[in-house]
Amino acid sequence: MVNFDRRRFLGLGLGAITATLAAAALWPVWRYLAPGEESGAREKTAVPRERVPVGGALFIQHQGHPSVLVQYAPGEFLAFSAICTHLGCIIQWHADKSEFLCPCHGGRFSAQGKVLGGPPPRPLDPITVTLDGDRVLLG
Amino acid sequence: MKPATATITLLLLVLLVPSAALPSGTVCLQCHGAQTGSLGEPVTLWKGSVHEANSVSCHGCHGGDPTDVAMAMSPERGFIGVPKESDIPDFCGRCHVGVREDYLESAHGRALGSGGPTCVTCHGSHRVVTATIELINRRDCTRCHEYGRAEEIKSALAATDGSIATLERTLADLRRIGVTTKETDGELFDLRNRFHRLFHSVDVDKVRAGTAAFRQELDRIKGRVDAIQLELNHRKLWGGAVVVLLLLGAVLALLIYRSYRRER
Amino acid sequence: MELKKRILDFLDLRLGVRDLLARNLTEYLLPRNINVWYTLGAVLLTLFAIQFITGILLLVYYDPNTEHAFASVQRIVNEVPFGWLVRNLHAVGANFIVLALLLHMLSVLFMNSYKSPRELTWVAGFLILLLSLGMCLTGYLLPWSQLSFWATTVATKSPDEIPLIGDAVVRFLRGGAQVGQPTLGRFFALHVMGFPFVFGLLVAFHLFCVRRTGISRPPFGPGYEPPEPPRTFHHEEHPGGIPFFPHYVAKDIAVIFLFLALLASVIFFVPGLFFPPAAFEPADPFVTPQRIKPEWYFLWAYQTLRIFPNEFLGLAVQGAAVTFLLLLPFIDRSRERRPSRRPVFVTCFFLGLMAFIGLSIWGHFS
Repeated sequence: MVNFDRRRFLGLGLGAITATLAAAALWPVWRYLAPGEESGAREKTAVPRERVPVGGALFIQHQGHPSVLVQYAPGEFLAFSAICTHLGCIIQWHADKSEFLCPCHGGRFSAQGKVLGGPPPRPLDPITVTLDGDRVLLG
Repeated sequence: MKPATATITLLLLVLLVPSAALPSGTVCLQCHGAQTGSLGEPVTLWKGSVHEANSVSCHGCHGGDPTDVAMAMSPERGFIGVPKESDIPDFCGRCHVGVREDYLESAHGRALGSGGPTCVTCHGSHRVVTATIELINRRDCTRCHEYGRAEEIKSALAATDGSIATLERTLADLRRIGVTTKETDGELFDLRNRFHRLFHSVDVDKVRAGTAAFRQELDRIKGRVDAIQLELNHRKLWGGAVVVLLLLGAVLALLIYRSYRRER
Repeated sequence: MELKKRILDFLDLRLGVRDLLARNLTEYLLPRNINVWYTLGAVLLTLFAIQFITGILLLVYYDPNTEHAFASVQRIVNEVPFGWLVRNLHAVGANFIVLALLLHMLSVLFMNSYKSPRELTWVAGFLILLLSLGMCLTGYLLPWSQLSFWATTVATKSPDEIPLIGDAVVRFLRGGAQVGQPTLGRFFALHVMGFPFVFGLLVAFHLFCVRRTGISRPPFGPGYEPPEPPRTFHHEEHPGGIPFFPHYVAKDIAVIFLFLALLASVIFFVPGLFFPPAAFEPADPFVTPQRIKPEWYFLWAYQTLRIFPNEFLGLAVQGAAVTFLLLLPFIDRSRERRPSRRPVFVTCFFLGLMAFIGLSIWGHFS
């Protein structure tokens, strides 16, 4: 009799542990499969046109990352990640030569983000740009 | 040496030296690597340098054609040769753009050509290694002047430099267990480079003022890394709980089994 | 309880489940001297179930294209909620499965349970082992890391030394001269569908054989006598034995939980154990990492190939050893199962085990 009660108690304990572990397993599976929220990370950044001179560039934060908006010709805008594709330094814009220069190891990029010289292995990561009246939208 | 003589010498050396002894790679390395004395020394020094580790070879700085023996040292193919002392900052500055700017504005830069240090004075020319704060030391700096200000700058830099190094190590540990650190790596690298540039101005006040701003940026990066580590510690906690529950379950199941065996 | 009874009645009326449950659970009797090694089957089923589920979950986010594979795995591990857990369960779980498979095989070997009338069970089980190793090999390539790429390059190169067809075999395995997108494509198909399908059939057959022939009795203890060779089929009974349910199920659960605790310990506290640094660098066909070694369960093969000056000889020796083991029940026809009465067998067993462990350790340090 005592044996039987003890066994019931142990069985209940085991059942509780198994149920807890099963729930603990199902929660991650649910979160894993559930679609992610369209969070603010996908927000567009709006920049007033006049802040970017013709032939000049403006360095801003877009979705939390250093980015650059360049007006390489009147009304023609391009945006890129301002992170050099070599080792991660922040590039600078040289308006006189109409190109980006990385101060760390001299990597050069064209206004279109293509590698002109130096160690960078890939062009700058582009960011979509749309014109909206007197604003430029990134992303 | 006239270009023709140089070419013939090169050709002879390349043909006469047994190929088994030649290091592979560019013709520069093949020829100079097989020589002794001052002509062969740069290759030995370059091996193990940070330039070698990043695939920056002879022609990357000295120009010339690394694939064509005849044109390896031809000015037509951009060969510069050994730069004059006053041309050294421009020589290195073709890649190290930011540092060159700071250096030229500094007291060291203004003393260029009249006994002042150039890049190679502190960094060496071929055995260039990743810069550390130890490049500022009594023995090297007192070659030209007394150590006082250098020591002040060093202590102003030391704490932050130490933090950067610690953060780099932490990021390497994270990378070792599969955490993607690429963007943070880049940020830290950028910070480190801009921070090291700061020294080249050799201006104590500028360094002190700049260090504060760098500390702030560093703290921001550190905050992000700390958050990752916190998350990892949380996982360990939950994991520990799961392990304990499983072990407990195993014990309970075993006890149940035993109780059945005793019965029979 | 009322609900449970009603569900059982419903199913029992249509499918006779009460009878099935009785015959396979409460009235299914196991030998009284059954030992803990018999739980490994249940452990393996559990571990394989985890592989299967985590594998499907990984499929949701994985991209089998050389351009995106590595990034997709990084995304799973770093961005998808609990992706790190799913990935680690799958990768670490694979290693635990190989360990459990080896332990299971060792215990069956030692207790001579492969002998007649259980030859088919052994053959199916051995093929399951080979398929599992195949799944490990094909799965290894999928993250497309430096480790994946170069370990696969080395592994697919080994048939090279087979005379006449070696080269063709290598090209067939790789889908080309080098490891590349064709390799990823076929390895992915094999890993996700090809092998698991055959594996499922083999496991079903293996379990059917186990249940149909009857569980073997451990050849230990004073009451054991080697049985007469069977002239007709008969299911081995164990009258007076212990019921599978609830007795042995409790023991199964205990050992399963123990293995899961070990698995969780590695995943949460030593996550880098089965991941060398090269596992976190994207594949670069032009840069070979310094010391590429196969995973621990292939080190014996790796070292064997290094010992033999002639690679073909090395391959042949391994092939012979594997074939010998596969056909063991047809080679070893003696009826005697007790290790205490089989000194030659036991010696060979331990020599083989030492060789496996020794070669693996040697392979690790060489």
